Amino acid sequence: MVAVRSDTDQPDARAAFFAAAPVGTAAGAPAVDLSVRIGNLTLHTPVMPASGCFGPELGALIPVGELGATVTKTVFGSARGGNPVHRLTEIPAGMVNSVGIPSRGPAGYLDELHPRYAALTVPTIISVGGHRVSEYAPVVAALGEHGAAYELNVSCPNLDRDGTDIGSDPAAIRAVVAAVRLVTDRPIIVKLPVLVASIADCALAAEEAGADGVCVANSIPAMPLAALTRRPILGNVIGGLSGPAIKPIVLRLVWLASRAVQIPVIACGGVESVEDALDYFSVGASAVQVGTASFARPFAAVEVARGLRERCLIAGLGSIRELLELEAAL
Amino acid sequence: MSIDTLDERRTADAARRAAAAQARVCAEADAAALDGLISVRPRQAGPRPQPVWDDAEVLVHEPVGERYRRLVLASSTIAHTAQAGQFVMLTVPPSGGDRILLPRPMAIHRRRAAIAGTPERPGTPGTIELIYGIVGRGTRALAAVAVGATLQVTGPLGRGFEFAAGAASALLIGRGVGICGVMGAAEDAAALGIRTTMVLSGQRPEQLLGRADCAELGVRVLEATDRDGSSALTTLAARLRDHFDASTPERTPPDVVMVCGAGVLARLAAELGAFWGVPVQASLEAHMACGLGYCHGCAAPVRTDASVEGPLVCADGPVFDARIPIV
Ligand SMILES: Cc1cc2nc3c(=O)[nH]c(=O)nc-3n(C[C@H](O)[C@H](O)[C@H](O)COP(=O)(O)OP(=O)(O)OC[C@H]3O[C@@H](n4cnc5c(N)ncnc54)[C@H](O)[C@@H]3O)c2cc1C
Ligand SMILES: Cc1cc2nc3c(=O)[nH]c(=O)nc-3n(C[C@H](O)[C@H](O)[C@H](O)COP(=O)(O)O)c2cc1C
Ligand code: FES
Repeated sequence: MVAVRSDTDQPDARAAFFAAAPVGTAAGAPAVDLSVRIGNLTLHTPVMPASGCFGPELGALIPVGELGATVTKTVFGSARGGNPVHRLTEIPAGMVNSVGIPSRGPAGYLDELHPRYAALTVPTIISVGGHRVSEYAPVVAALGEHGAAYELNVSCPNLDRDGTDIGSDPAAIRAVVAAVRLVTDRPIIVKLPVLVASIADCALAAEEAGADGVCVANSIPAMPLAALTRRPILGNVIGGLSGPAIKPIVLRLVWLASRAVQIPVIACGGVESVEDALDYFSVGASAVQVGTASFARPFAAVEVARGLRERCLIAGLGSIRELLELEAAL
Repeated sequence: MSIDTLDERRTADAARRAAAAQARVCAEADAAALDGLISVRPRQAGPRPQPVWDDAEVLVHEPVGERYRRLVLASSTIAHTAQAGQFVMLTVPPSGGDRILLPRPMAIHRRRAAIAGTPERPGTPGTIELIYGIVGRGTRALAAVAVGATLQVTGPLGRGFEFAAGAASALLIGRGVGICGVMGAAEDAAALGIRTTMVLSGQRPEQLLGRADCAELGVRVLEATDRDGSSALTTLAARLRDHFDASTPERTPPDVVMVCGAGVLARLAAELGAFWGVPVQASLEAHMACGLGYCHGCAAPVRTDASVEGPLVCADGPVFDARIPIV
C-alpha cells in the first residue's frame, strides 16, 4: 500500500505518551523522592513489571526508563519447552495462565535476551526458578553480575519432596536463599506463593537466610472450564489466576508479611492503577509490580509510576510515606 | 413446570448439547489437521513494522449480516505500516458492568491510506477495518462500543502473508471471519497486479463476508457454503483442482495458496499445494495476552522436544508455512 501522509494524520497515542514528560520533573517543581532501596540496589521509583508480564519488546512501546527496574521471565537451569495449548484464558476479573515457563537456560538467556534487557537503561532483576532446592544457586552463579538483583521464584513444585511448592515450606526457602547467598552479592528477592500455611513464617525464613526483600505474591492455582463443553480450557488443566480478582487475597498476605519482616515487601497481584499501588503501600509494601494489567494497557506500570509522583506533588509532599501519613491522620 | 415449557427447555437443552458436541468435533478435527502441518517460514525479506499502541477513534461500527460486525478505526500509523495478514490487539472497554482484562486479537481486514484534504473536502486519516463475530464476553462487550468513542489498539503485529517476487497468480481461501485474515493479501495482490481467486467459505450464503471487497479489488470469487454442501472438503478440493486445471486463462495452477479460517482448510490448502507443487501459507489463531512475543501464551501447534519451546503464533506467525508431512 502506498503510504500517503495527510494533514489529517495524527501521531499515534504512544508517541504522545512518550512526549508527555512526567509531571514534577520540570525545573522548579518541589523535590519528590520515590526511591526505594532493596539491599544495595536503589530504584528511582517503586514500580516495576511482574515476571512473565514484560519483555524487551515493550522498550519501543513505553518509556521503560520511568520504571524502577525490569523483571525478566523466570530462567531455569535447563532448557524447558512449556505447556500444551491453550496456555491462557480469561475469566471474570482474572486471567488464568499455564504458560509453563519455557526457558532456554542461563546461557540462552544471556545470549538472546539479556542484551536486550541491558539496553533498557534501568536495572534488570532476573527471575530464577528451580524444581529442587539445589537448582537455584547454580543458575544465579551462571548469571553472575548480569542481574542487578535476583528474584527467586519459589512457586515451583519441589521434586525432592511430594511436589508441594518450595515456597510453601519455610525450611526449603531457607535452604534456597542460603545457597544463593553464597554465590551472589546482588540483592535477593524471594517471590512467595499464595497458598502457604503462614506467609509470615515464609517471609521470615527468607529474611533470616539473608534475603533482601520478598515479593508477595505469585498467581493462585486455578482451573477454568469451557462454558459449553465443561472441559478444561487449559492444556495443562490447571493454571495461575492473576489480575484484579486476586488483589484482596494478596493485600492480606502483604499486610501479614510486612508485619513479620524488616526487609522490603514488594506487592504483586492485581495492580492496575495508582490507587491499587497506594492500597498496597498502606498495608506495608515498599514497592509494587504490575502484571496482568500490562497486557491490555502496555503503559499501565508507567502510569502507576507517574501517578505516584503526581499524587505527592498535588499534596505538596515529598514522599509516599508522607502521603500515607497524611491519609492515616484523617 | 408446564409440559410446554418442559418441552421447550428440553429442546434448548438438546441444542446446547449438540453445540457442545459440534464445538468439540471441530476443535479435534482442526487439531488433527494441523498436526505436523505447519512450520515457521524462512526469515522475512524486508523489515517488519514497529508496533505502536494508539487511541483510535471508532469511525464505523455496524452489523454485517446477522453474524458479524464491522469496525473502522482511525489510526494512521497502523494503517500506513500494516502488512497483509498482520493483526492488532484490541483493548475492550468496560461494558454494562463487565470488565474485560485481556485485549482481543483481530485480523486487519482492510487498510486504507489517509486522504489529504482539499479546500472543498476535509481529508480523512488512515484507517483499518476489522470484522468480528460475537463469540463470548470480550466480543459481546466490544459490540457495545459507540461510534465516536476511542478504542485502544496495539499493532500492527505478527508476521503476515508474503508474495514471492514474480508471483503472477494466487489462490486465497478464507472461511468465516478467517476471510478477514486473508483479505490483506488480496489488497497486496491487487496492488502488485497478481491475478487472484478467493474462496469465500461459510455456513450460509447470506453470511459470507468479503464479496464487496473482492469486487473492489478485482478478485474472482468462488463461494462455498455448508448450506449447499459446496464447502465440504472433498467437494471444494475437487472444484479447485478443476478450476485451476481447466478454466484459468493459462490453465495453470496458482503460484501460491494462502489460507485462513480452520485447521482442516489449512490441510486442504497444503494438499492442493503438494498436488500443484506450489507453496502454501496458513494463518492460525491462538489465545493471546501480549501479542508481542513475551508472554509465551500463544504456542503454535508444532510438536517439539520437551526441552525446546515451539514457535509462537503472535511473533513467528500468525502466518506459517503449511506442508503435508512426509511419512
Ligand atoms: C491473529 C488472530 C486474528 C483474529 N482475527 C479475527 C477476526 O478478524 N475476526 C474475528 O471475529 N475473530 C478473530 N480472531 C478471533 C478472536 O480473537 C476471538 O474470537 C476473540 O478473542 C474471542 O473473544 P471472546 O471474549 O468473545 O470469547 P471468549 O471465548 O469468551 O474468550 C475467552 C478467552 O479466549 C480467547 N479466545 C477465544 N476464542 C479465541 C480465538 N478463536 N482466537 C484467539 N483467542 C480466542 C479470548 O481472547 C479470551 O482471552 C482472531 C484471532 C487471532 C489469534
Ligand atoms: C502470562 C503470565 C506469565 C507469568 N510468568 C511468570 C514467571 O515466569 N515467573 C513468575 O515468578 N511469575 C510469573 N507470573 C506471575 C506474575 O509475575 C504475577 O505474580 C501475577 O500475575 C500476579 O500479578 P498481577 O495480578 O498483576 O498479574 C506470570 C503471570 C502471567 C499472567
Ligand atoms: S501472545 Fe504473548 S507471546 Fe504471543
